[in-house]
Amino acid sequence: MDFMELLNFYLMPGIVLGCIYALGAIGVTLIFSILRYAHLAHGDLATLGAFLALAIVSGFGVSPLAALPVAMIGTAVIAVFIDKAFYNHLRERPKIVTVMASLGIALMIRAVIQVVWGVDSESYVRGIVRPENYWGLRIRDREIYTIAFMIAVVVALQLFLGRSKWGKAMRAMSDNPDLALLSGIDNRKVIILTWLIAGGLCASAGVFLGLNTELKSMMGWHMLLPMFAATILGGVGRVDGAVLGGLIVGVAEELSVLVLPSEYKTATAFVILLLMLLVRPTGLLRGKVL
Amino acid sequence: MKTKFIALAGGLLAATALASVPAKADVKIGLLGGVSGAISAMAPSMLEASNLAIKQVNEQGGILDGETLEGVIGDSACNPQGGTDAATKAVNIEGVSVLVGPHCSGAVLAASGSVSIPAGITMITPSGTSPEITGLEDNDTVFRTVSSDDYQGRALARTLKDAGYEKVAVAYVNNDYGSGLANAFKAEFETLGGEIAGFAAHEADKASYRSNLAELADGGADTLVLFDYGDGTGLTILRQALENGFFEKFVGADGMKSEALIEELGPENLTNFVTSAPVGEKSDALDAFNKAFQADGGDPDAIFVTTSYDAAFLAALAIEKAGGDKAGIAAALREVSNGEGETILPGEWAKAKKLIAAGTAIDYKGAAGDQNFDAAGDVPGIYALFKVNGDQFETMTEMK
Repeated sequence: MDFMELLNFYLMPGIVLGCIYALGAIGVTLIFSILRYAHLAHGDLATLGAFLALAIVSGFGVSPLAALPVAMIGTAVIAVFIDKAFYNHLRERPKIVTVMASLGIALMIRAVIQVVWGVDSESYVRGIVRPENYWGLRIRDREIYTIAFMIAVVVALQLFLGRSKWGKAMRAMSDNPDLALLSGIDNRKVIILTWLIAGGLCASAGVFLGLNTELKSMMGWHMLLPMFAATILGGVGRVDGAVLGGLIVGVAEELSVLVLPSEYKTATAFVILLLMLLVRPTGLLRGKVL
Repeated sequence: MKTKFIALAGGLLAATALASVPAKADVKIGLLGGVSGAISAMAPSMLEASNLAIKQVNEQGGILDGETLEGVIGDSACNPQGGTDAATKAVNIEGVSVLVGPHCSGAVLAASGSVSIPAGITMITPSGTSPEITGLEDNDTVFRTVSSDDYQGRALARTLKDAGYEKVAVAYVNNDYGSGLANAFKAEFETLGGEIAGFAAHEADKASYRSNLAELADGGADTLVLFDYGDGTGLTILRQALENGFFEKFVGADGMKSEALIEELGPENLTNFVTSAPVGEKSDALDAFNKAFQADGGDPDAIFVTTSYDAAFLAALAIEKAGGDKAGIAAALREVSNGEGETILPGEWAKAKKLIAAGTAIDYKGAAGDQNFDAAGDVPGIYALFKVNGDQFETMTEMK
C-alpha cells in the first residue's frame, strides 16, 4: 500500500468522520460542563436536524448547504423547547434522573422522525458523486465543506467563549453556577444559550453525516457512542478537546481496519473510551470547566 | 379536586371493564416484521401479503367457529433485540397462536430461542434464511417458507462461476444472515476453482467503509460480492465502492434486491450490479396469488411476498386443523402441507375449511413452492439472478 492510498482511503474518511463526531461532541461537552449531565438524546437530535434539512431540500429544491442554517436554527429552537418542557422540571433532582429522561427524549424524537419521514434510507442528492482528483488526493466537495465548516465553528465558538460577554457568562456558570448567579448572571438565559448552540451544532453534525452517507432514522443513535468517546478523550468541558477527541476517534476507527479484522471497527471507540478512563480520566486536555 | 380524580379514575375503570368483554374472542397471529431497520423498504409489501391471507380467511367464513383472524403487527427491527421484544409482546401480551416472522435471521434466532420455543408457540419465518436456523433445537416449532442460504450461497457461486467470474472479494454484514450466506458461497466458489481474493465481515451502520473496501480491493479482485441489506449498510458500501472506483462489478444476494438501491444510486450507476433472490416457480398457485395480490393493490414481484403470504396462510390452516389448540399447531402445520391429500391453492380457504371439518387430508401448494417441510422445518427453494433495468429489477437467468 502506498502513501496516497493510506491518505485517500484511510486518513481522509477518518478526518471527515472525525469532524462530524467533533461537531456532536462539542454540544455534548457544552451541556456536560454547564448543565452537568450526559445528554443521551444528542444523537437523535442530530438525526432530527438532518431530516429537517431533508424536508427543506425536498420542499424548496435548494441545496443541502443552503438548508443547513435553517435546519440548525430549527433544531436549536426544538432543543430549547425540549429543555423547557422536560429537563427544566428535573433541574433540582439528582442528575441521573435527567440523564434517564434524556434517553426517553431520544426514543421520542426517533419515534417522531419515523412517523413523519418513515424508516427508509433517504439521501439529499440522488445518484453518486465521484471525487475530484487534486494531485492524487481524492476529495469530494462535500468533504471539503464538512472540514471547513467544523474549523469555522470551532474558531467562532472559541472567540465567543473567550471574548464576548455571554461567552464569559457561560464559562462562569460552568465554573460555579451559584457564584455566577450571585454575580448577576442570569442562569436561565445561559441555559437557553447553551441549548441553542448545542442544538445548532448537533443539527450540523446530522446534516453532514447525511450528506456524506445516507439519512436513516437510526443514524444519530449509532453516532452517540463515538461522540461520547470523543468528548471524554479530549477532556470534558473543553471545546478544543472535543475536536481533538473527535478527530482521533474518527481516524482510529478507519485505521483500525489495517490491524484488526474489520468487524471490530465499531469496538475501536469503546476501547479508546475504556483506555482513556483507565489511564487519564480527565482527558487529553485536562478538562473540567469551559 | 379529589372527587374529580376519583370520578375520573372510576370512569376509566368502567371504560376498561366495558372494553374487556368482546362479543367473541378473536384468533390472533403475530406478524413480526422488520418495519424499521435494515430491511424497512421490503417489510411493508411482505406484511401486506401476509395480511392478504388473513383477509381471505375472514372473507371466506373466518377461522374455527366463524371467529375473526387478526394479524398483530410487531416491529422486529431486523435485529436480535427487536425480534425478542416484539415476540415477547406478541406471545405474552397479545396471546397470539402463531408467529409469522420475524423477517431477519438474527431476529428469528433470538426470538425463537428466548420466546417462542420456551412458550411452545409455532414460528414460521418468511425470510429468515440463515443456515443456523436449520440446526435449532426447536421441538419442531420453527419453520420457514423460504429456503436456507446454504442453498442460495452455493447456487450463487455456481451461477457466477458459469458466468465467468473468476476472482471475487466478499464483504458480508457481521450477523447470522451475512456470515451464513458468505460461508456457503465461499465453500462452493473455492470448490469450483474460483479465487476469493478478500473475505471480510463488517459491522453495520458506520458512516464510512472506505478503509474496509480498500483492504478488500487490495486482493486484486474486480468483483465485489456483497452480502448485506440494500436499505442499510449495503447501500452505504455500494455507494462508496462506486464513488471511489474500488471494484468494477458488484454482486448481491436477496437482501440487496431492494428498490432503495435504484432510487438512491440511480439505475445508470448499477449497470454492473446483479443480485440473486428467491422466486416462485411458475404454477397455478403462484398465478392465483399474483392475481389476488394485484387485485389487493400489491406488487407480486416484490421480494419475499410469496413466502410471506404462504407463511400466514399456512398458519391459518394449521390453527384450523389443530382446532385452536396452540400446542398442536406445529404438528398440524406438517399435516396440512406434507404432499398428501386434496390440493389447496392460495385463497382457497372455504374449500380447505370444509375439508378439514370433514376430516379429509389437505395439502397446501404455496405461491412460493409446494412448502413441504423437511425434518428441520425447511423447504427447498428456487432462485434467479436479477439485474437492474430502468427503474426495476429484471430476471436474467434461473440459478441452479
